[in-house]
Amino acid sequence: MSQPTHTTAADTLQARFGLRVAARLSERAQEVGPDVSERLRFAREQALQRARTVRAAQVPVKVGVTRAGAAILGGHPRWWLTLGSLLPAVALVAGLVLIQRWQDNAQVSVAAEVDAALLSDDLPPQAYSDAGFAEFLKTPDE
Amino acid sequence: MASDKELSDFLKSVDKRAFKRTLYAVRDEDAALDIVQDTMIRLAEKYADRPAAELPLLFQRIMSNATMDWFRRQKVRNAVVKNFSDFESPGSDGDFDILETLEALGGSLASESTADTASRAQILLAIEDEVARLPGRQREAFLLRYWEELDVAETAAAMGCSEGSVKTHCSRAVHALSTALKAKGISL
Repeated sequence: MSQPTHTTAADTLQARFGLRVAARLSERAQEVGPDVSERLRFAREQALQRARTVRAAQVPVKVGVTRAGAAILGGHPRWWLTLGSLLPAVALVAGLVLIQRWQDNAQVSVAAEVDAALLSDDLPPQAYSDAGFAEFLKTPDE
Repeated sequence: MASDKELSDFLKSVDKRAFKRTLYAVRDEDAALDIVQDTMIRLAEKYADRPAAELPLLFQRIMSNATMDWFRRQKVRNAVVKNFSDFESPGSDGDFDILETLEALGGSLASESTADTASRAQILLAIEDEVARLPGRQREAFLLRYWEELDVAETAAAMGCSEGSVKTHCSRAVHALSTALKAKGISL
């Protein structure tokens, strides 16, 4: 049972010593030369400038999302923005495919009507392959 | 999101400590300043949208990585220089080593003699010197825990090691420092 107590006391002593050393180091750190201070100030300003640039670059993206319908699309701006821009293209392709199929169906039904008329006629279809009948058809009516 | 003022205040509060910590590690003032500047810019570029409370830990992690990168680059550069130096005459190498050794000896003797004097500035210098002499991981753990005042879990996250390792490094650093300072007649 005495071991944890001993450990805690040692930890406390260690922390106290560490903090005292740290206090001396802080005191010493304040004594850096003017050139170092100036260089650190320049580094801070560079970093802040960079942060402002990054923030400014992020703002237009957010506005764009709002215009594209942020209220509907929710909290994933870039993903939804991409999807939103793809939707019209997808709709266009689907429309073209539907028009193509509709035209195919129309052609098939026209061909079926012609076939039905030929088959239901009194004249047999083989007659059209007969050379004499073809000649007869070309002959103008008298 | 941290505002401009919060980011500025944070950087101002941490810059000198960051510089000193990096200087202890790399022992080159210009390199230390470059690393600190690089760290600040990386933090501002990538994490400026994070809450201000997250900045200290992020800063420490970025700085650890930047320091590690510097050591890697130095290793590569030293390897290249070493390869080129193989073409030089052996005499010039010998002279260079002797000068370096003498300079290093002079430095340590001077710091030992200052430790025995009562001047406060000299005591601070001696403490800083002993901290700088600690092995890298021990020094990093010690400074993150007691100077940056991170807790054990945060220190472990910043150093990329377990909490147990942090405790061990800190304990060893404290023992090494207290022994070294006691030997110089410095009590805290």
